[in-house]
Formats: sequence, C-alpha cells, structure tokens
Amino acid sequence: MNEQLSTGGFTRRRTDRVAVVGWLVIGLFALCAVFAGFLAPYDHSAQSRFEPSAPATRIHFSGLTPIIHPQRVEDPLRRTYSEDTSNAFPLGFFLRGYSYTLLGIVETDVHLFGVRSTSGIAPRINLLGTDQLGRDRFSRLLYAIRFSFIVALIGVLVACLVGILIGGVSGYAGRLMDTFLMGVTDAMLALPTLILILGVRAAFPLELPMTRAALLLLLIFALTGWADMARLTRGLVLSLRTREFVVAAVALGVSQRRVLFRHILPNILPSLRTRALLLLPTFLLAEVALSYLGVGLQEPEPSLGNMLTAASDLDQLRSQPFNILAPALAVLLFTLAIRLVGRNERA
Amino acid sequence: MIKLLLRKCLQGLMMVLIVSAVTFALLGFAGGDALTQLRDNPQISEVTIERLRSVYGLDQPLPIRYFRWLSGAVTGDLGESTYFRVPVSGLVRARSISTFLLGTAAFAIALTFAVPLSLAGVRYKSRTIAAFIDSLILLTASTPRIVLALVALAISVRLTASAMDTSSSVLFWLAALALSAPLISVFLAQFHGELQRTMREDFIKLARAKGLTESTVILRHAIRPALNPVLTIAGLSLGSVLGGSVIVESVLGRQGLGTLMVSAVRARDLPLVMGIVLFTSTAVWLGNAIGELLQAVNDKRIRDLGY
Repeated sequence: MNEQLSTGGFTRRRTDRVAVVGWLVIGLFALCAVFAGFLAPYDHSAQSRFEPSAPATRIHFSGLTPIIHPQRVEDPLRRTYSEDTSNAFPLGFFLRGYSYTLLGIVETDVHLFGVRSTSGIAPRINLLGTDQLGRDRFSRLLYAIRFSFIVALIGVLVACLVGILIGGVSGYAGRLMDTFLMGVTDAMLALPTLILILGVRAAFPLELPMTRAALLLLLIFALTGWADMARLTRGLVLSLRTREFVVAAVALGVSQRRVLFRHILPNILPSLRTRALLLLPTFLLAEVALSYLGVGLQEPEPSLGNMLTAASDLDQLRSQPFNILAPALAVLLFTLAIRLVGRNERA
Repeated sequence: MIKLLLRKCLQGLMMVLIVSAVTFALLGFAGGDALTQLRDNPQISEVTIERLRSVYGLDQPLPIRYFRWLSGAVTGDLGESTYFRVPVSGLVRARSISTFLLGTAAFAIALTFAVPLSLAGVRYKSRTIAAFIDSLILLTASTPRIVLALVALAISVRLTASAMDTSSSVLFWLAALALSAPLISVFLAQFHGELQRTMREDFIKLARAKGLTESTVILRHAIRPALNPVLTIAGLSLGSVLGGSVIVESVLGRQGLGTLMVSAVRARDLPLVMGIVLFTSTAVWLGNAIGELLQAVNDKRIRDLGY
C-alpha cells in the first residue's frame, strides 16, 4: 500500500516533481512527530525564569565552530535583551540533557544539539525565543507538532472507518436506508462544521488532562468528520455494484458482507486513500482552531493551536512576529504539502 | 417552481429539526450545565442549586425540555442566556449583523477575484493567465483561515503604532480577506472549469459561426450555462463562511456570531449554544435554498422539471 502511495506519481509529469516536495515536507513532519524528544533541546514545560519572552538566540561562528552568547535582561518591564559578548559557549551535537523515551520504549537523554559548557551551567539556546513563561518555543513547537499530527492522523482514521461503513452500507443496501443515510450525510456536509464541533465540545467539561482532551478531540472528529468519506464511498460502491465481477460474486452465493468487504472495498481503496489524505489538514486545522479558542488541549501541554494564542500579546507580535507565528507557518506548510501531493493522487 | 420551493422548505425543516435534536440530546446526555460550576462554591448549598434548576426547568426529563425549547423556538423565544442574562434571540440577532456584513464582504471579494479572472482565462487563452489561475487556486485552497487571520493581525499591529483600533475599516477588510480565501479557490476552480467546458459545446460553435465576437460569445452565451454549478457551490459555502467566522473573529477581536459561540461554549451556556446552532443551521439551509432558487431562475429546464 505504501509503495503505491509513494511511487505512484513520480515520473508521470513535470508537476510530479512538486509532489515529491510535498512528500518530503510530510516526511519531515512525521520525523518531528516521532523524534520530538530527540530533536528538542529542552523539555517543553521547563521554564527559564530569567528569560521570559526572550528573542531568538543568535548563532555566531568563531572559525568553524558555532557559538552563542548568553542573553542578559536589559529592561525587565519592556522585556528587552542584549547579548553578553564577553562570554561565548560552543554548540555541540548529541549532548545529554533531560531524559525522555525514544519511540516510546527506550529511555535516553541524548539530544541532537545543545550548548556545551565547561563550567557546568550553560546558557540556553532558544531558536525561536522563549514564551511569556520562559519556555523554549522551538522545543514546544516540536512537541506541538507531535500532538497535533498524531491527533489529526488518528482522527482521520476513525472518521474514515465510520464514513466508509456508513457509505458502504448506504450504497449497497439501497433504497430506504440509502435515502435516510444520505439525507443525514447531506445535512452534516452543509452544516458549519466548526460551529457544530464547538456545540459538541460544549457538552464536556472545559478543562481536561492531555489524554482525555485527545480522546475527546478524536470523538468529536469521528462524530463530525465522516460525512465527506461516506458520500464518496457510497458513490464508488454504487458505481461498482453492477459490474460483472460483483454480479458474478452475488450469483455464486457470496454473502452480502463478503461482497462488500472482499470484492468492492479493495477496488475503491485507492480513491478513498486520496480523500483520506486530503482530510488530514482539515482535522489538523480543527484541532488548531479548538486549541486556539481554548477548548482543545490546555496549557501547559503544547499544541499548534494553543501556542498561537501568544499572538494575542500584541507587543510581542510586533517585536518578533516570526517566532510567534512559527506554528502558523508549520500549519501552512503542512496543508500546502498535502495539497501538492493530493493534486497528483486524484484517482 | 412551487413544488421546488415546498420541497426545499420541507428538507430544511427536517434538517433543522434533526440537528437541533441531536445537539440537544448530546448536551443533555453529557450532563453538566452552567449550574454545575456553582457546586464548587461552598457557600451555595445543594438545595439552592436544585431550586435554581427547577427555575430554569433543568430538572425536567430531556424530551420534555426539548419540546419546551422547540415550542419556544417556533415563536422566536430561545430562552435566556445563562451567562449574559439576556434573551438569546436578541443576542444572536445583534451579533449576527456584524457577521453578516463580514460574510457579505468575503463573498464580494471572492467574486471580484473569481469572475473577471475566469472570464479573462477563457477569453485570452494565454498560458500565463492559466498558470496564474492554477497557482491562485492552489494557494487560496491551502492557506488556512487561521493563518491568514494571524498574518492580518500581525500586519495591522505593524501598521498601527498604538493599541489596536477594532473599529477601523482596514481591519474589517483584512478580516473579510482572510475569510474569503477558501471561497476564492472554490469559486475560481468551479467557474473557470465550467466556462472551459461550456466553451467546447456545440452552441458556442454555432454562436461563433454566426460571426459574433468572442466577447459576445462568452458574455451572452457561455456565462449562463456555466453559472449553475457556481450557484450551488455559493449556497453551500455559506456554512464554511459561518464556521470560518469563528476563527477570524476570535483572532481579530471582532464581536460577532463566532465569538459569541466561543464564549457560549466556554461558559457552557447551553441555551445560547442551542440558539446559535439553530440560527446557523437555518441560515445554511436558507443559503442552499437561495442558491437552488437562483439556479431555477437562471435555467428554465430546472424550473419546468420542478426539481
């Protein structure tokens, strides 16, 4: 299944090169999600109380070694910082830091990069600056990508299962069942999804711990996101059920369930997979929206959405727009990549 | 024509009924309401909460509460917001005006992009225009509204030195632009594609053979048949505009239906949530119905078929 996805469109046309770029970006996101702990130099909730709202650490070079200078607070009220150029610390790779579990099994404390120091205490390197509580924004971004990416991925899987089931039954059972199910599907499709999602969200307590918030998001996605998939599945099933091989299977006395799942489903799977891929950004954005509005994942756990709430601090937004909007850039890159890939995967 | 109207009305009624019932049931089954939080206050006794509950009718079983709410809703009474302490209908009406203006502006922006570009695309069959249209579709389709709204916020913060002036018209148009991005892609893709398809039809060949200029062929003969799918899409995208307004309004700090919904959810103000869900689903149905009616006006075949 994967070979077809990845090699399906590489050599066909010039535009297929664009799809490769799309796959690379998606792969990068997957890597961030899997190796967030290894790539992030600091724990996502570790505070550095002396440097709240600090700008990004500048990387200098002395010879060929990258070095950084520690940042000193100049004005604690206006949150301005200056570099202390009398001190220099070299950057290092594969350094030891806080411990995390790699791939969910191996307990380790090795990180891709960090600041080397001989005296014990090293200044922190904040590639995207720190937030109001002095937490490294780059590390938070990586963990945020992990949460948002995984929730969106599982959400798509769950919604697809529901959608394929409803669509398949609707297309195959026909008549009354079909009319009823497609009526509901059309209503779902026409409704303002985000308002519906918020309506469902209102039924549950506002503040939830991480795993329960993730489960709730998945439940909401499954409840509201299946309609698109159901519609597509029904259309495809309808177009296949009069084909010879299906009629032959029915004539041989194969049970309805077997016809649907063994004869029809494998044939429509490629089209469904493309649509599922295109649904991924929809779910990612729903998670971002909910967390941004404060009803998804709650602080201190980072998600792409709740990191963006920092934009409401207008002073910060003015002084370091890129650092604050980095999660938005990540979202944009992801949706663009999926579109680029999806354009060629149209089956 | 009348058959079509009746059919649409019946469909809409069914949809609104189903949606409101499902939302009501979900909110009811999940338990907890605006009064649940009062339990955290040690000075309020359980007895008081129970009394408040019966005042608001929350002690009744779910179906009874639904029918009570429904019979109120028919007469325009959606109950009282537990958070704002004013009637829901007035609140929704007041806030929906601002969202309506924003949505209209977004539609207008999308149309001013989509229509001239599509027409130019089929009139001058140049590669540059086609490539421009393609990349615009890709870009607007894949730029999420939340990203656009945040960028708009960053830009407006850069422009104004002092605190943000929410009433400024610049901000309004930035918000409308953020809201319109996905609409641009949908309208442009539909209209341009449909125009190209129509231009290959026999009656276009006939019109050209009559010696009409290319502009007349497009404006008099191609537009009308190409318009129908666009009208469907326009009616359907009302839902996406209403959903998108939640994000755009929250990011840019506009008081509208979207921000009202967010505060209702955060305060677990169930009557208000129900009121907004009812209002938006009715609005969406109305949008669809208007879209289909316009199609019937545009296309005599639909009118005569009664479908």
